[in-house]
Amino acid sequence: MSRSISLHPFTVLSLAVATVTITTAAGSWLLGCAVITACLVLAGWVGRLQRLVVMAVAILLPTFASLLLIHGLVATDASALIAAAGPFRVTTGGLETAMTLGLRTAVLVVVGLLCTLLIDTHQLVAAIDLSPAPPQVGYLLAASLFLLPQMAEKQRAIGQAQTLRKAGTGRGLTGWLKRVRLRAVPLVLASLQDAHDRSVHLAARGFPAAGAHTRLRAVQDSLIQRRIRWVALFCAVMGPLVILAPLWGSK
Amino acid sequence: MEIQKNSFTGKSTVLALEIERFRYSGAESDTLQSVDLELAPGSLTVIVGDSGSGKSTLGALLAGMLPRPAADECRGSINLAGQRVQYSAQDSPRIDVAGWAKHVGLLPQEAGHYLSRIREIVAEELVFSLENEGATREQMHQQISTLSQRFSLGHLLKRDPAKLSGGQERLVALAALSVSDPSVMVLDEPLAGLDAEATVTVTEMIARLRSGGTALLVLSRTAGPWTASADAVWTLANGHLHKANGASIERNAAATAVQRSPIATDGRTLLEFSGVKLGYPKSEEPAVQGLDLQVRAGECVALAGANGSGKTTVLKAAAGLLKPSSGTIQVSAETGLLLQNPSDQLFERTVLREVTFGLPKKSAARAKVPEILAQLGLSSDADSHPYELPASARRLVALATVLVREPKILLLDEPTEALDIWGVAALRRVIDSVLAHGGAVLFSSHDQNFMDQIADRVQLMSG
Repeated sequence: MSRSISLHPFTVLSLAVATVTITTAAGSWLLGCAVITACLVLAGWVGRLQRLVVMAVAILLPTFASLLLIHGLVATDASALIAAAGPFRVTTGGLETAMTLGLRTAVLVVVGLLCTLLIDTHQLVAAIDLSPAPPQVGYLLAASLFLLPQMAEKQRAIGQAQTLRKAGTGRGLTGWLKRVRLRAVPLVLASLQDAHDRSVHLAARGFPAAGAHTRLRAVQDSLIQRRIRWVALFCAVMGPLVILAPLWGSK
Repeated sequence: MEIQKNSFTGKSTVLALEIERFRYSGAESDTLQSVDLELAPGSLTVIVGDSGSGKSTLGALLAGMLPRPAADECRGSINLAGQRVQYSAQDSPRIDVAGWAKHVGLLPQEAGHYLSRIREIVAEELVFSLENEGATREQMHQQISTLSQRFSLGHLLKRDPAKLSGGQERLVALAALSVSDPSVMVLDEPLAGLDAEATVTVTEMIARLRSGGTALLVLSRTAGPWTASADAVWTLANGHLHKANGASIERNAAATAVQRSPIATDGRTLLEFSGVKLGYPKSEEPAVQGLDLQVRAGECVALAGANGSGKTTVLKAAAGLLKPSSGTIQVSAETGLLLQNPSDQLFERTVLREVTFGLPKKSAARAKVPEILAQLGLSSDADSHPYELPASARRLVALATVLVREPKILLLDEPTEALDIWGVAALRRVIDSVLAHGGAVLFSSHDQNFMDQIADRVQLMSG
């Protein structure tokens, strides 16, 4: 069953920033694992656990592999040796470094991905439009966020047209590569043409707004959420300082 | 807004256009020459012209989107709201399109281009320009309520604008355009792709706007639907504007009003839908349910029904692009599908490359390309970029890409949309040829005249 979280997008983002900065500064296995577990529980609660896991694994697997390759297999530190063969040298210190860096990256990736799953992009753009930020910020974000879905839609249309002409219908890796090659140029050209055709009408409709602008869409907010945001941003800045300050000058 | 007195008609004039000549950057000839036009408040002016005659260029000029400064050549002037914009060889002023749009609104031929595509639901799309003006939420809700009633859009308000049918897209764009309440509205093919109910809605809306003092300029391929209500009908040909007379209007109507003779068939079923249910991923409601349809050799069948009733879905399923979630589709011969929007079907640099795309080298089909281009009157455009061609020719290029594979079952999605009379004549020849060779044609359309003349029978889609 899928549920939704009706928090203001800025609240979710500020909590995410605070979580990532404090966890990264703390560098604790326990805290890192706890944060990732909490994210997974939250994703499961809103019915997006599978998506989060698939996306996180797709990013973190190559990340962990490269960290192990750099720090774990060819370690140069003086810690206890686990195994050695030719240029390869596996040490406890090297593995620990790889896992620590990997865990920090994992926290960043999982929290970031959870934000993309929790925050409705239209709500986020509306929140920026309704904030005191310059109108260009909302415009840039809207242009960036909605470009990919629009290109995906265009790509599907081009794919259908090419399928009708029996082009790019092969299977396997070769077929996929051929499809990519056949669709890439038309996709870019069609997207440019579409942007050109649409831009003049967007301008005629006053977009991006030069002055005061409003949104039909309401973004729920409250005094408590605003206070939470301030506290979260304070923690995001002060948390790492408090954690790291005692360590300064100790090495 | 200042309204001037028209010296020719005695009526007041809200917009006066005098264009000595207009030429696109890099073009070898003028697109418009000696075009003088005056629009009075509450008037309906219709400009009829074939594809490529310059209608859309004229519309863009009126909307302040052309000429592009330091690129296009324009000589003439526009008087609007007490302001005179003078174009000369030395000076081509840049117009503030957003400010201009408050006085002159343009519904483009491809209505989807008017929609921003950055709003999630139709209701937000409708008030997009009000959001940018800083209107209050109450004002916007009031406008949505009014537009919803006037355009019968209640069922579309929560829909994703990117997933509307062609006709629904046009209706939403027209409603969004009317939000700003401009004193002049330029409508490029406002009835194209609309079902009967939406056509009545738009026609009533136009009458309401006129009674409210809005000057309307309709750019159309045919004068048919407008002759009774228009204050003035003009024809635009080769860039020149002429007052239309009854003979020229009837010539257009007569050119396509010929009934097709039925063809004797062997009764073989080429295409059969049995209890078919079709839908799209992420869509809760099926687009088509319980469809039973047979199309036999030599038979031409029309799919009719309201916008969004699933006509395009059926054609895509017949072409193999969609699989039914229940029921069966039996296709006994090669199919070829002409999509509703030619832009979705064209992606090469030249017409010749476009039509030969995907064909094996030295194949018989490739050798037939010149013949097909000649059949559709496109031989002289072989080296042109498809996007540079007029809408009718672009549609015919898309048709050529289908015909080159010699389909036995020709599937056509709104084939007459954007076609001028020459294009419709070419289309009819193509349909006759497919049927005469033992093939079959299944097409969707809102063009009642075309259906009456071409179709052997009509399948009504109920959605």
